[in-house]
Amino acid sequence: MPEPLAILDGVSKFFGDVVAVAHFSLAVNRGEIYGLLGPNGAGKTTALRMLAGLLAPTSGSARIAGRDAGSDWAKKQLGYLSGSTGLFGRLTPREILDYFGQIHGLGKSDIRKRLAWLSPSLALDSILDRRAEVLSTGERQRVSIARAVLHDPPLLILDEPTAGLDILASRFLRDFVRSERDRGKAVLFSTHYLAEAELLCDRVGFLHRGRLLCEGSPAEIRAQQGASTLEAAFLSLADAQEAGP
Amino acid sequence: MNLRHVLLTFGKELREALRDRRTLAIMILLPLVVYPLLSLLAAQVALGREKNRDQRPSTVAFSGSGPARDVLETRLRANQTIFLLLPQGTPAEVESGKLDSLLEIGSSQAEKVTVLFDASRDESRIAEERLGDLFAKILPDGCAPSFALQNRNLAPQARLGGYLLSKALPLFVVLMILLGAFYPAIDVTAGERERGTLETILCAPIRRVDLMLGKVLAVATLAALTGLLNLASMAVTLLQILRLTSQALVLDVPWGHALASSLVILPASLLFASAFVALGATARTFKEAQTVMLPVYFLTVAPAMAGAIGDYRLAGIAAWVPGMNLTLLARDLLVGRASLSGTLAVLLATAVFSAVALMAAARVYASERLVIPARRDPKGAAIIGRSTSAGDAMTLFALAFLLLYFVFLPLEKRHFAAGLLAAEWMGLFGLVLLYSRMSGQQFAHVVGLVRPSGRALAGSALIGCSAWAAVAILSEWLMPVPKHILEELRKSILPPSGGRGPVMTLVLMAISPAVCEETLFRGPILRGLGTRLGPMAAIVATAALFGLFHLDIYRLIPATLLGILLGYLANQSRSIVPSMLAHFCNNAVLVTLARSGLDQRMEGLSHRTLTVVVLTSLALTGAGVALVRGSVTKPEL
Repeated sequence: MPEPLAILDGVSKFFGDVVAVAHFSLAVNRGEIYGLLGPNGAGKTTALRMLAGLLAPTSGSARIAGRDAGSDWAKKQLGYLSGSTGLFGRLTPREILDYFGQIHGLGKSDIRKRLAWLSPSLALDSILDRRAEVLSTGERQRVSIARAVLHDPPLLILDEPTAGLDILASRFLRDFVRSERDRGKAVLFSTHYLAEAELLCDRVGFLHRGRLLCEGSPAEIRAQQGASTLEAAFLSLADAQEAGP
Repeated sequence: MNLRHVLLTFGKELREALRDRRTLAIMILLPLVVYPLLSLLAAQVALGREKNRDQRPSTVAFSGSGPARDVLETRLRANQTIFLLLPQGTPAEVESGKLDSLLEIGSSQAEKVTVLFDASRDESRIAEERLGDLFAKILPDGCAPSFALQNRNLAPQARLGGYLLSKALPLFVVLMILLGAFYPAIDVTAGERERGTLETILCAPIRRVDLMLGKVLAVATLAALTGLLNLASMAVTLLQILRLTSQALVLDVPWGHALASSLVILPASLLFASAFVALGATARTFKEAQTVMLPVYFLTVAPAMAGAIGDYRLAGIAAWVPGMNLTLLARDLLVGRASLSGTLAVLLATAVFSAVALMAAARVYASERLVIPARRDPKGAAIIGRSTSAGDAMTLFALAFLLLYFVFLPLEKRHFAAGLLAAEWMGLFGLVLLYSRMSGQQFAHVVGLVRPSGRALAGSALIGCSAWAAVAILSEWLMPVPKHILEELRKSILPPSGGRGPVMTLVLMAISPAVCEETLFRGPILRGLGTRLGPMAAIVATAALFGLFHLDIYRLIPATLLGILLGYLANQSRSIVPSMLAHFCNNAVLVTLARSGLDQRMEGLSHRTLTVVVLTSLALTGAGVALVRGSVTKPEL
């Protein structure tokens, strides 16, 4: 079996005295959507940032395709998108994509080809030459997705990408993520909308107060907890942890 | 209009604004601290310039002979402190700067004396002025002299134009470049964070130093364009104004020199862009960046102003002071007197400072702090204490400054000893005591009052007893202290009226400053700034504030150097006591030297002896530092 593309191996992250993530491990395989679930403040963003090389683990290791997640090589293997990854408002999407494409080592003609490929699926044609600051939230998110996948990375890290999106834009994004999975990409997806995870993810991990409560396919977790939905399963797990030994 | 709604909104906005500490800092720090401080330093520079000018005799000579020469020569010889009379001279020597003025005696029967001077040189203008004053006193009022006196300027119009431009243009251009770099630097750093595009770029495979260099170059380009446009516009405008206000003056724009002076635009733009980008990178928001950068803006303006109004030459330390060196180089280029060594020194200094700022900016961008929410930022754990914030530190400095400037300095003028004691024990120690009470912290925790190790104490005593020599000699080399300032300092230690014994002198000059100044500066100020800047930057920033607090431009450098050592001691030993001990030893040694008259004897020491003294001082200080380094037993207080 090939090694998982993205690995967090027993990572912990402390901010001063605050424990954001404790002894957390996960592995995401190619052709898989892994949902990292949990309430606000659970440590999802911290975990994803460690994998994206934005934060260094206090202990443990974060690896992408076997190499340290902080390296430039590893960053070339991933497309990262979060609520905090904004666009340069005074540039047009075409200029933004051109900039990031070149930073990822693509030539001008490669960028044009990728853009020609991405434009129909992300409906970019009509907005490519308008300033990003005048685009709607949904349009900006489509440009952000294009920015994240322009260099065709094998790993996508999406941190609450549907937060703030309307129902149509959310569905659009989910469809795009599925199509990327079907192309063999590994997708690590965080959300606190459990219904969304149920629709999208092949495997999920529940994170609560920085610790992994359980991991498996949505169906397995529902069955383990005897719950009809992931939300009910999570609440049951969280209550059990709060009660504590 | 609904007045109730207006008042409600007014109240809400005011409440919000006043709860923003940064708004308060700008309201208090700028008008009440920065402006008085800068004015004071500028006044000291101007006073120093006047004293230098008064003390320097004008070099004059005669050409030709006649009865008028005898009369004038007698007068000049009677004023040897003002004039240095050479036997013979030529107009070319006035133009080259060897002579300040030449008195040309005419050969016709009705004798005519012409004062030749170079209006493009300050020294020559002063000589002409002095000669005018002297000759006006030759005869009593109502009597006509037996010769006709007239003045003639030898400076070509273009050089005169350059001279007049050099009075205002260099400072103006440097200020414009500073301003041109200010907002773009905030926009590409804090603005980026605020717009949420920082994380977008940080997760891309781009090296931080490449990223920051790109940003610095963009900001520098905008700043350079601002400088270039202003230089061209102001050169033409200023000369037009001069032409309009003085019809008799026909000036040419020295375009060649003006173009050459644009050479400063490039290094100035790079320097200010690097510095502002580095500072902007530390801020989370546009507003925070403004708060951080405004004081630095004014602190850069100060040396630039000193360069513009002072009598500094572009050599030695002046070529290394950011802001000042650029103003001086622009001035020298405008008047066509720039030396190659001076120009190279400025370019080298600017390149070094820019590179340091760029590396600092890249380091900030490599830091996790950029993506950590403020509430989780653990930076405070890196320095020796946690409770006092950087805002508290700056507020305490501002309050201490205000008390000193408006309350205790006037008191010191009336009664030196009482005023000094009050300033130290009430204005500094009392202030920190009050702060600890009001903030609900223990005084010992606020200042870091814990028992240090024996090694730390021994090392501190060694540093305190030895560092003064290196600090004094290095400061003297960087910025020589005028004699009248030294005399004033001696008088404060040894009042001419006498009546102050050694114990009282030690209490005033050594014990009080050591306890009280350390309590404030190496206590909450160092600790507070450390939560924002990290230990090393906090030590330097605290030392700079400590230097400024002495309100004397000539004590700025020694106090800052000493402050760095004291900050190092406090941080390294995790206790305020070693820095107090070192401060006491330092001041006690200086007081002892002054009382014994040894300091005056040191002024006559040869270079060789001074080198030995400095090396010995450095060796002992190094040994002290080594002792303190090995003394840390606890990770933090």
